[in-house]
Amino acid sequence: MFNFLPEQIAYAHCDIPCGIYDPNAAQQGAHTVIRMTQLLGEKTSPHDIARLTHVKEEHGERVEDELGTLENDYFKDEHYQEFKELKELIAAAVKLSVKVRQTVDMESAEELLEKVLQISEIFYKTKKLEPVRVKSPYPTEREIVVYK
Amino acid sequence: MFLSRITVVGHSMEPTILENQKVLATSVPYFFIEPKVGDIVVCKANNSKKLYIKRIKKMQGRNFFVEGDNKKDSFDSRKFGSIKRKEILGKVIWTYS
Repeated sequence: MFNFLPEQIAYAHCDIPCGIYDPNAAQQGAHTVIRMTQLLGEKTSPHDIARLTHVKEEHGERVEDELGTLENDYFKDEHYQEFKELKELIAAAVKLSVKVRQTVDMESAEELLEKVLQISEIFYKTKKLEPVRVKSPYPTEREIVVYK
Repeated sequence: MFLSRITVVGHSMEPTILENQKVLATSVPYFFIEPKVGDIVVCKANNSKKLYIKRIKKMQGRNFFVEGDNKKDSFDSRKFGSIKRKEILGKVIWTYS
């Protein structure tokens, strides 16, 4: 059919499905944002403030990137159907990851961590693992989500 | 690309378009209207000579963010970035085997 038309090839190229996904990087990023926000409340030298702000910016972006990878490459339709709140959680977390870069706001940083922890819990549930919240070993003294 | 028949290589547009399926693509609609979100298009990316077949997911002015329907396994704007209007060569109007 349509053999009279010129034929071309178009590529529906695949990515490499490595299967290695982990919410820990997003958690570490969110903890780092909190830590930088804490330190920005303590330090006064312009040099320190510049460095802390730079690191806060980087890790806010890291959270966004890591959540994007989970959203686009790991979570599947069946996950979104099972966990109805997942899409909104990710959208809210991404917005917060931008807000914490624009501001020095501990409330937003803590809210970001909370969203990331909730997404991490869902991630482990999709792996049929039991998520648990434990106190992190970080100076933020907030929680992380691990699994049993 | 006035009107072309195209053989699809790869799995990134599944389940909409399977590997080795053939499609008809044409540039004619885009003479009159702009590409829109949801269109499946034949495009180029990053000055590549290769043609890609992807779906438009977002538009920002003259930049188009394209993705495969098989998001878990697609090399698309999430990796190579948005494409420009001039890199969209045609719209897929029919799929057949």
